[in-house]
Amino acid sequence: MNLPLTRRDFLSRSGMGMAALGLADLHASKPHFAPKAKRVIHFFLNGGPSHVDTFDPKPALAKYEGKPVTSHRITERKTGAAFPSPFKFQRYGRSGIEVSELFAKTAAHIDDIAVIRSMQAQVPNHEPSLMLMNCGDSIQARPSLGAWLTYGLGSGNENLPGFIAMCPGGMPIKSAENWQSAFLPGAFQGTYVDSQHQSVDRLIENIRSPHADTRVQMRQLELMRRLNDAHRQQRSDPRLEARIQSFELAFRMQIEAADAFDVSKEPQHMRDLYGDGVHGRQTLIARRLLERGVRMVQLWHGAGQPWDNHDNIETNHRKLAAQIDQPIAALLHDLKQRGMLEDTLVIWGGEFGRTPTVELSGGKSKLGRDHNHYGFSVWMAGGGIKGGTVYGSTDEFGFAAQENPTSVHDLHATILHLMGLNHEELTYRYAGRDFRLTDVYGDVLTPILA
Amino acid sequence: MLCRIVQISALFISTSLLAAEHWSFQPLKAGKGNSIDEFIQRGLAEKGMKSSPRADAHTLIRRATFDLTGLPPSDESDSSDMSDKHFAHLVDSLLASPHYGEQWARHWLDVARYSDTKGYVYAREEKQWVHATPYRDWVVRALNEDMPYDRFLLLQIAGDQIVPPNSPDLAAMGFLTLGRRFLGVTHDIIDDRIDVVTRGTLGLTVACARCHDHKFDPIPTRDYYALYGVFQSSAEAVVPCAVVRNEELSALVKKNRELMTKRRGEQMARTRARSADYIAAQKDLEKYPEEVFGQLLDDKDLNPFIVHRFTAWLEKHPGNELTEDTLKQLGSPAFVPDEHIANIEMYFPTGVTTELWKSQADVDRFIIKKSAAPAHATVLVDRPLPSMPRVFIRGNPLTKGDEVPRQFLSAFGKQTPFTKGSGRLELAQAITDPRNPLTARVMVNRLWQHHFGRGLVSTPSDFGKQGGAPSHPELLDWLAQRFIDSGWSIKAMHRLIMSSKTYQQSSQSSDLSDPDNRLLSRMNPHRLSFEEARDAWISAAGRLNRLVGGRPEALFASSNTRRTLYALVDRENVPAVMRTFDFANPDLSIPQRTETTVPQQALFGMNHPFVVQQAKSLLNRPEVKSADASTRIHRIYARLFQRAPMSDELNFSLGFVHEDQAPIIATADHSKSWQYGYGEWDESTGKVKHFKPLPHFTGIAWQGDEAWPNEKLGWAQLTASGGHPGNDRKHAVVRRWVAGTDGSYTINSTLIHEPQVGDGIRAFVSHSRLGKLRSATVLGVDAVMNLDTIAFKAGDTLDFIVDIGSGLNSDQFLWSPKITSSLTAVTGAGGDTPNDTWEAEKDFSAQPKSQLTAWEQLVQVLMLSNEFMFVD
Repeated sequence: MNLPLTRRDFLSRSGMGMAALGLADLHASKPHFAPKAKRVIHFFLNGGPSHVDTFDPKPALAKYEGKPVTSHRITERKTGAAFPSPFKFQRYGRSGIEVSELFAKTAAHIDDIAVIRSMQAQVPNHEPSLMLMNCGDSIQARPSLGAWLTYGLGSGNENLPGFIAMCPGGMPIKSAENWQSAFLPGAFQGTYVDSQHQSVDRLIENIRSPHADTRVQMRQLELMRRLNDAHRQQRSDPRLEARIQSFELAFRMQIEAADAFDVSKEPQHMRDLYGDGVHGRQTLIARRLLERGVRMVQLWHGAGQPWDNHDNIETNHRKLAAQIDQPIAALLHDLKQRGMLEDTLVIWGGEFGRTPTVELSGGKSKLGRDHNHYGFSVWMAGGGIKGGTVYGSTDEFGFAAQENPTSVHDLHATILHLMGLNHEELTYRYAGRDFRLTDVYGDVLTPILA
Repeated sequence: MLCRIVQISALFISTSLLAAEHWSFQPLKAGKGNSIDEFIQRGLAEKGMKSSPRADAHTLIRRATFDLTGLPPSDESDSSDMSDKHFAHLVDSLLASPHYGEQWARHWLDVARYSDTKGYVYAREEKQWVHATPYRDWVVRALNEDMPYDRFLLLQIAGDQIVPPNSPDLAAMGFLTLGRRFLGVTHDIIDDRIDVVTRGTLGLTVACARCHDHKFDPIPTRDYYALYGVFQSSAEAVVPCAVVRNEELSALVKKNRELMTKRRGEQMARTRARSADYIAAQKDLEKYPEEVFGQLLDDKDLNPFIVHRFTAWLEKHPGNELTEDTLKQLGSPAFVPDEHIANIEMYFPTGVTTELWKSQADVDRFIIKKSAAPAHATVLVDRPLPSMPRVFIRGNPLTKGDEVPRQFLSAFGKQTPFTKGSGRLELAQAITDPRNPLTARVMVNRLWQHHFGRGLVSTPSDFGKQGGAPSHPELLDWLAQRFIDSGWSIKAMHRLIMSSKTYQQSSQSSDLSDPDNRLLSRMNPHRLSFEEARDAWISAAGRLNRLVGGRPEALFASSNTRRTLYALVDRENVPAVMRTFDFANPDLSIPQRTETTVPQQALFGMNHPFVVQQAKSLLNRPEVKSADASTRIHRIYARLFQRAPMSDELNFSLGFVHEDQAPIIATADHSKSWQYGYGEWDESTGKVKHFKPLPHFTGIAWQGDEAWPNEKLGWAQLTASGGHPGNDRKHAVVRRWVAGTDGSYTINSTLIHEPQVGDGIRAFVSHSRLGKLRSATVLGVDAVMNLDTIAFKAGDTLDFIVDIGSGLNSDQFLWSPKITSSLTAVTGAGGDTPNDTWEAEKDFSAQPKSQLTAWEQLVQVLMLSNEFMFVD
């Protein structure tokens, strides 16, 4: 048996053409037109961050404190009078867009950011709104945005999954349905990573062998190649070669993935920039993944619904924002320095916003806010986005979208557009119909495009 | 509700014309030909092609056995004589095997969007279905008994009206009731049922007509709502489908019933008392949102659902008055029907709904967990007052159009309204009417598809205009007619197909003029599905538990050596490995799985402990273990491939196992300095009582068993970077470091408890001689636990101990200490040099658990080879 002398030797000898891989045949793999962005990172503040405490200042709430607001709407629970934001807002950047102190570090980059202040979902409940924001439909099982993107464009790196969803400490509400592939092939669904862990074998399933070191694996793959080559001699099925290649690809994936997830390879100043908490670490990992060609990374804030602050929003929002403000600002800074911001789309938001009125529990206030799907904020920065822009608005109090109401379908159409995909043409036939992410809706938000 | 069809600017063709023209609506035609081979040969001859020669006996046995049972043939299968007679005998014996039903049940379960769980539901409700296991087992049994297909469908759609109470056949109705819950939204639950029935049995995409007339097929919206009415007039009921009685269960059911009766009564009284308010609310309807909009309600609120019931009643009875008497009647807007909570949760304030679901969950859990409980089915039963459906214009329930009677689809000719109850039985009868050409065509095509890898129609659940045209229309009709004439015998169809030359031909052909092999000039090789591969691995290891039926088990529980059919399918969380291997999405009716080849599949084969376990078990079989090297290889080949190795295969296998393996380059093996165990913290001694090692290593974690949590040690787990304490204070997890040499050491560590919920964890650092050195109780915060220059003698231990706060809730933690020797003088005997560092995390994963032996390497490779994974 001739064993390759080095790993490099082995890899060059197994000399893979990528063409025959099964998945390549399944995805469309080509943008419809020149993309502005090649990859997406989505900060998902699950639970629903309050827009009136972050990116949508409402001075009228202070004026009407304790009084009913005229734009009051029914939400999941009962809410009472106007509840002014306990956080200070101030103008940032050349654009002078107002942002609250919760995201002061992020706000330093406001001139790269377009804030959509007129987002709307369909109902004031987490589950349907999570499905809508991630998969474009409140109720039915539909593929997620990341699944559509990898279906439409493939992965930029054959050795890594194309769509990765990271959430520290467990799953968000609705678990893996948030990154499902539904009727698209299973390979397009998001790979879940519990980012509370630090070692790569805890981060990605089966990425490291508990029973064979690299040398043994190489010996085994050499044997497998020999057996499979002999088997293939009398057969003409292309799936045989595809499967042979998948093993060699897997071997390389072990090395590449281990490297991508190892933040200790970053210089100290870089780790300091992002911060040493779990959110700093997962954001830094995300940057390493994007750099290596991963199509979409979703960063969830944590298990369950951390931003769902029905009580004591002042303390809770302050604590949560403190965990991600620095990592987000670091990422924007870092991407810019590397020249990656121009073709990386950064998205920030939750499944909905929160009421400008105070939530009542048994008639009493615990100084929190209820869910609000009538109006909330999402922002985007980077690839193809006109920075320093505010699009749309909510009413005087921030209860409902007023100017340019924007549906989640519009948001999705815009994201696909920036990625070089026409949302009306990216379709998949299932159960007799050509489905798309935006159903029969969606308009690209041209005013926020650069 | 939203309208969900992609607009396609197609020419607008009157759909009634299509009904006459489209092939699949035509009656079955008697074509020229009287055998499968005749039709296939004719197609080939037209292109000047020939079929391939008959496959050899070994291939035929393997093909037939995997096809019919999903399992590999036994290595003793006699392949000396494979005459037609002998092969027919083999097919008969395979069809008689109980494993036949298991294999073909899985194909049907894909269509039936089978799941053991409901998917996402609120915590008040039991997540697992009570009736999934009985349904799955019923399908297996029905197929094994060769139940006529028309009865198979009748029972699944209207079993409640055909068989007596407590009949095991009631389980069949899981077909309708195992779908997702859609957060309780009726329109979507009904839509799912219309979809599974029409695509599953008729190959028609009727759900496309929810918002407007079908774009391509003769299915107007009226037809969709005609079926909608059938399901709207049926309510879910959980009933026993066995005659066993269980007193404990009866008591729970009685308690649940009493609570329901009480709460219904209160609710009806509440609504009657406020009927004036409900009527007044009609002026302000926009304040009362639809059922998709989840509002938390208390008993003082007007219930939006009831507001809308008033609206409907008032519209239907113009000029009538809602008297106290009227309000008490069945069908009045104040009346709460006497049904399972799943049907009526919208009637109550949120707190009451939660209470009723919790009470129901007590019943459900008893049925699911207790083996003494009789099997239960969730059936549909007709409501006393069937409702006349109205078209929802553009699918929106708020904009109601014309009434339509409950009746069958218009494409099948003149419609007569259903007259018996909901009409579900009449619907089932219309589907299984032998004059209905679609039902038989669709089913024989499914059977063909699973034998040949592709159907004669390539879109098995879409026989409409947008679906594929049949490659051999006359053959399809001939098969469909034979199917009906055989008394809808599925086994007869297997015999017919498998006895053909077409089925028995070789898959190896060099003629590539028909690359997709639509004309079947050769057999299509079959790649094992995930279930088949796992079953074949366990089977090769000789560990397969062949028990048929019963409760599901976690896929990778170490005790789970059952067929993959019995692995728990949790539709909210399908194991990643199953999705990676193209398992059918249990949310949707899947007529054909996609087949992908991705590196994650290879990673599973190479690195997951499962395949290696099977390789080791195979090597441990007495007849393998005791044999000399060459015989051993023969026996391994026999078990895996049911053939002898060829001489070169034998030689290089021998070479492989005998080759000197280069020694692994030794790095300081600190993994021996750590032990992973559990015990009980004893505050009085400052030490752990009863330290025992955690018995099971998964490759990434030490814990009680392969599954986690597990029955042995619950949640107790230690990983490279942290872990989780056991379920009580007696099961603290202990990461133990053993000093190799005398000296003083410095310890740096930070304990991190991230969750903001629960009551936190307790942590201790304890020295075997000095006792407690540090302790902390943390909830959602970090605790720095550093120690400077602590003296150790060789063999002393330092324990890092974590147990739960007062209760078990969100107790996972991160804690990976780093220990540095601060002594410089002495070199210890253990090989560790001074100034050394032990890092819990790094040392944990620096080494594989144990390196495979050359034999294990060989068997693993053979198990992952293409020869193993493909059936010629």
